[in-house]
Amino acid sequence: MEERRHRTLPSFLASIAAWLAYAFLVLPSLIVVPMSFGDKDEFQFPPQSLSLYLYKRYFFESTWMQVTLQSLLVGFCTMVAALILGVGAAYGLDRYEFRGKRAITLFLLSPIFVPAIVIALGLYLYLSRFHLVGTTPGLIISHTIITVPFVLISASAGLRHIDRDLETAAMVMGAGRLLILRKVTLPLLRPALVAGGLFAFLISFDEVVIAYFIANVETETLPVKMYSSIHWEISPVLAAVSTLMTLLSLGVCLAVAFLQRSEQR
Amino acid sequence: MVAQARNWQEHRTSNWGVFFIPFLAPALAFMIAAFLTPLLFVAYTSVVGDQGPSLAYFGEILTRPLYRRVAENSLEISVMATACTLLVAYPIAYHLARRTPRQRALLVILVLLPFWTSILVKSFAFTVLLGHAGIVNHVIEAIGLPALPLLFNRTGVMIGLTHFLVPFMVFAILPSLLSQPPELRRAAELMGAGSIRIFWSVTLPLSLPGVAAGAMICFILALGTFVTPALLGGRSDLMIANLIDFHIHETLNWSLGSALAIMLALITAICTLVISRIRGGNLFGTG
Repeated sequence: MEERRHRTLPSFLASIAAWLAYAFLVLPSLIVVPMSFGDKDEFQFPPQSLSLYLYKRYFFESTWMQVTLQSLLVGFCTMVAALILGVGAAYGLDRYEFRGKRAITLFLLSPIFVPAIVIALGLYLYLSRFHLVGTTPGLIISHTIITVPFVLISASAGLRHIDRDLETAAMVMGAGRLLILRKVTLPLLRPALVAGGLFAFLISFDEVVIAYFIANVETETLPVKMYSSIHWEISPVLAAVSTLMTLLSLGVCLAVAFLQRSEQR
Repeated sequence: MVAQARNWQEHRTSNWGVFFIPFLAPALAFMIAAFLTPLLFVAYTSVVGDQGPSLAYFGEILTRPLYRRVAENSLEISVMATACTLLVAYPIAYHLARRTPRQRALLVILVLLPFWTSILVKSFAFTVLLGHAGIVNHVIEAIGLPALPLLFNRTGVMIGLTHFLVPFMVFAILPSLLSQPPELRRAAELMGAGSIRIFWSVTLPLSLPGVAAGAMICFILALGTFVTPALLGGRSDLMIANLIDFHIHETLNWSLGSALAIMLALITAICTLVISRIRGGNLFGTG
């Protein structure tokens, strides 16, 4: 009996430490949720009465809506571009052996390892030569660079999971390579493509450092506006924006978890 | 038909490679044009300024006290944040590793959610929580203790950075805990080791490669942070990224900003190489 207690006390303490750590991770973003239902232009915790006042301000004040739409536009275009480039590269790398393949893979993944501030500075110096600084295409190009690696990883994992015999069967039955790609490979890849696309969209939608360097007043994205708002004034509308963004993250997180599970089955 | 099928199997090594060039080429061309070239631009700008090519900008960074201080700050903050992160992340990884796969799949969402939450949402939450009239100080004052300075100083940066880094550390440590065969624990138990002893002499040592990789990843990420020190730190908590921003947007000394960026990139590259060594050439540790 005594030995048993000996065994459970440390593991009990370990559990407490773990739950404290979980609380530290999750509570801060949850604290903004009740605040977002405050009914005044100042912070209250807990709010005296519940209202949608801050949400109304978010949805009907043109400045917040404009930057949100801009972020949605940039995020969507980035997602499409990153999917086209990333999935193509994953297919080429997975299905063909050649010299220098490792180096090319590492190069295509390298934007993950370079600090965002360095990429931001490079793009700022480089894109200004083409008058792309301060433009939406400039933002899309910038965000495509940092999202291609994630689509590449996601699509490569998907391609490794595909049953190669299905492609062989289609080949034996006389299907051409493009037809096989379109009718067999891509449909089988769908969960990986959706996950990679969601990652790309969310990364672009949340990205701030590069957007802070590349965007100007007219092409400002939501995170850049949030950054300056926290820096200079701390508007209570931020509580509503933060709640909505946390919901978006939760949605993407659950969707990807679900997709990965269905893929493993 | 069999020959055709075999041909399909063998295409990986045959001339069919030509078929794959159109798939790989766009991504490669785009990355060379839009990623590699801008980095070369930074390198070029860092050595070529108003007075022609020179290493003067690097010399200035290494000798001027302001830059020394920012560099020391950055290293100090990054190392301390990595240590704090380890203290928070290890209990989580250990807890996750000892659940059933089903429980783990649910609990891991608690780590994934902050991972995918925007850094600005977190920064906003911390300004609300830690400020002088923030929620934490409200609670502290309600107990009857004096309010603590938690925001716009080193403490704020530490809390914000640790919160940002924990998921990366958890995902680095977890595989090294999961890959330990359960029989090892059993054997140690049978030989009479208590759970503390098992942890110190079996579990922890075997998880050290994961800890080392995680610490490296967190150190790199911390060293390059821009948002957290800018929003949660004070004037003396400026880091390299903030100094780069200052030179690009305020003093317009692009060469100095570029030289700083090159140094940051070099330190990051060296650490990345070390990580890939720890993981036996596999950067993502996924096999």
